[in-house]
Amino acid sequence: MSLRVENLTVRLPLPNGSVVHAASDVSLDVPRGTITALVGESGCGKSILASAVMDQLPAGARRSGSITVTTPQGALDVFAGEPFRGLHAALVPQSAATHLTPVRTARSQLDETITTLGSPRTSDELAVRVGLDPSALDCYPHELSGGMAQRVAVAGALAGDPSVIVADEPTASLDRALTDRVLGLLRECADDGAAVLLITHDLASLVRTGVADRLAVMYASRLMETGPAAEVFDDPWHDYTRDLLGALPSRGLHPLPGSPPQLTDLPDDCVYFLRRPETRQSGGPTALVQVGDRSYRTLREVA
Amino acid sequence: MTTVQAGREERPAGTGQDAGQAGTVPDDAPRPSEGQAPSVQDLRRGRHRDIWAMVGRRLLFIVPVTAAVSAGLFAAAKYSPFDPLVGYLGTRYMTTSDADKAIISEQLGFDRPWYSTYWGWVQDLFGGDLGLSRSFNQPVAQVIGERLPWTLLLAGTALALAVVVALVLGIAAGVRSGGILDRGVTALCVVVQGLPPFVMSLAAIAVFALALGWLPAAGLTDGGADPTVGGVLRHLVLPVVVLAISQVPWLLLAVRESVVTSKGEDFVAGAVSRGIPTPTITRRHIVPTSLAPFVNIVGVRLPELVVGAVLVEEVFSWPGVAGAIVTSARDLDMALLAFLTIGTTVVVMVGSLLADVVVALMDPRVSTDG
Amino acid sequence: MARRNLVIAGSVLAVVVLYAVLVPWLAGVDDRVTDFAQARQAPSADHLFGTDSAGRDLFVRIASGIRTSLVVALLCALLATVIGVVVGTAAGFWGGWPDRIIMRSTDAVNALPHLLLGIVIVAMFRGSLLAIVLSIALTHWTQVARIIRSEILSLRQRPYIDAAVLAGASRRQVAVRHLVPATAPQAMIAVVLLLPHAVWHESTLSFLGFGLPPHEPSLGTLLEEARSSLLLGGWWTLVFPAAVLVIVTLAVAFAGQALRKVITPPQPSELRL
Repeated sequence: MSLRVENLTVRLPLPNGSVVHAASDVSLDVPRGTITALVGESGCGKSILASAVMDQLPAGARRSGSITVTTPQGALDVFAGEPFRGLHAALVPQSAATHLTPVRTARSQLDETITTLGSPRTSDELAVRVGLDPSALDCYPHELSGGMAQRVAVAGALAGDPSVIVADEPTASLDRALTDRVLGLLRECADDGAAVLLITHDLASLVRTGVADRLAVMYASRLMETGPAAEVFDDPWHDYTRDLLGALPSRGLHPLPGSPPQLTDLPDDCVYFLRRPETRQSGGPTALVQVGDRSYRTLREVA
Repeated sequence: MTTVQAGREERPAGTGQDAGQAGTVPDDAPRPSEGQAPSVQDLRRGRHRDIWAMVGRRLLFIVPVTAAVSAGLFAAAKYSPFDPLVGYLGTRYMTTSDADKAIISEQLGFDRPWYSTYWGWVQDLFGGDLGLSRSFNQPVAQVIGERLPWTLLLAGTALALAVVVALVLGIAAGVRSGGILDRGVTALCVVVQGLPPFVMSLAAIAVFALALGWLPAAGLTDGGADPTVGGVLRHLVLPVVVLAISQVPWLLLAVRESVVTSKGEDFVAGAVSRGIPTPTITRRHIVPTSLAPFVNIVGVRLPELVVGAVLVEEVFSWPGVAGAIVTSARDLDMALLAFLTIGTTVVVMVGSLLADVVVALMDPRVSTDG
Repeated sequence: MARRNLVIAGSVLAVVVLYAVLVPWLAGVDDRVTDFAQARQAPSADHLFGTDSAGRDLFVRIASGIRTSLVVALLCALLATVIGVVVGTAAGFWGGWPDRIIMRSTDAVNALPHLLLGIVIVAMFRGSLLAIVLSIALTHWTQVARIIRSEILSLRQRPYIDAAVLAGASRRQVAVRHLVPATAPQAMIAVVLLLPHAVWHESTLSFLGFGLPPHEPSLGTLLEEARSSLLLGGWWTLVFPAAVLVIVTLAVAFAGQALRKVITPPQPSELRL
């Protein structure tokens, strides 16, 4: 394994006293050389996983569980406080241009990353690797168009040759052609040996491009289903996954009723039944049941 | 005024169609050598053109404002109850007969309508004749020539000192916001902001010159001695320190605010996620981003620097042009007062323009519409 | 937190105002009476704050000074706010070209050193209360205009304005009956926030000798008199008026900031999940 998330629970207290349940008992394994896609509707808590892997949770966050990155030197606990960002795990952020310092060129920041991490690469080399014209690096972040900014972000993530790459909604504001390009780039990164965690709400692109090896489905801070992507697309085991797939244009465009719940002060049990009252996999204590290399959430059997 | 769009209003990178967004290099652009899409060099040149355009517009704007202020000055002078003959005749005012006063008025042109006086002044100005200063008994040009260097020395040194103190303390306070240094410095700034510079000057004189006797109380030199470098420096210390302290609070609070805002911005989180260590983030990410707004604030505060210089020069009897404003206002020495007022206005506006140009050069996101 | 500051600042101000009002009344000493035999006395039981170079008791004189300073400052702040409200409402309401011209004018006024214009105006119309008030008001209305203008701009979008228009109200009626009254809280805050600036300016102008005549001294005038006393060793002539000036300025400034925090609704925070 290159990235292992074990029983991660994240609670974010708000100033007015309520608590946001960003993640509840999430466990995920991302083997090296593969892309695991974490999907769910907006606001289900998936992005908090990106912050958690990079140990950049908001101040005041309460967490339990562990996140381990396997490096050539051994296992590394990301919450331990040892330097690892960029070297062993890297982030491709959502709005890449705003994650770069506005008054410096892309090149200057990329060079800085390279020097800090002690990487043997050069920024031109990284630019070419991600399909960018090296002269584009001389732009300021706000001068980069969306696709270029995203590629600069990937270049920055690759600078230290990390074992784990977390991509947080990398194609959120891109059109189809650019989405396919960026996803293809991530595929190349995985093929080169990295473990890629791809967080996205764009299930349609995943189905279309087939870049993901494994799929994990999240709803209201909990995992609903995991498994090899192709199998899950063909034969989803959880009602929610079926709902998500059913909402795709290619599968008939049956949108889900209602909207995803707010994560504030969620009850202790899975709340999917509030969205789909007829489901038999929610509405009481639930657990993730593992069957082979797939798992799905269902009501726990009263022992 | 240029506006700094600190990352909140910047053009979203790639909303929908990417090709051909204004001000960005298109995604699928052919290589620059194929010569069709705008390259990075083109973007830079375009920006420099925009900056020049802004300079031109602002210079044009200065002209009507200066004209309005100067015309207003002359009109107001005419309608004021102050009789210019008082200044001219001095103690003989009471003893001169009305008939003689009328003749003198006519000779000196005191009975002309204000716009006639104004136009005459403008013509003289462009012809190089700045007039005669009644309160100093010298040509205006000589008054300016003798006094301007001292004001530049005072204001320049004070501004440099204020900028350094504001940057150092402001960044330190902002980086560790909420800490002891931050709270202490902020509280001090709030108190100092309430003090008029003349109160500070009086207090400084009372404590350091009169009570402790460490530093001289006034003037450029002791008694009527010739100015020496050492002497001038000794006399420079108190006025410069007081003027600098009076300007520090706004500058410091602006820097601190800028740093605190930057800390919470995405680009800092991005740098952290790339593994950049915290001191480097402060030095090479937060500080450069905060500098442009800081220069902006310096430009905005220039009028207050001038006001501070006027007060400090007045209280410390520093022989500069700022203090001369007060003298010429007291005596209603129109020749000198008009020139000084208009001159100060122009200098302040040009200074503000320079600051805006520097801001536009430092921060590529800033709009040049100001 | 803001409420606590407001209470503290308000109490300090109340004490100062009581001082300014009660002391001259109770002391029965006319601060205009000069008695050179008593000149330059250090603070004592008879004269709490000492006497000045003309023998006038400073404790009482400072009280008058506070009164004059605050009254003049209040007049300036009110006038500046009225001008600012009118200009800001016009700009926000009409929009388009008039708005741009008005905003350019405010930029121009802002660009000029306030005190200089003030000095020039009062130099020409010396000793006149109107000149002092005008010189400060005419250079300080811009901040108010800006705030009122943005209030108007955001208020124009509110549904109840649309409702009024649909119900048949003319543009002028909408402006006068709905928009302007809605800016009242901001205008009130503007008056309070302007007070410290007005006190600052008025005391500076008085200090330079352009203020009110000496029988109506403001704190600035007292400080100008202190300037010559200092050299002869009368520290009390400086310390007490200066301390009072600083306390008044700070108390008003704090009260204004706290008032603004109390009246303005807090902003919601954002969290990205």
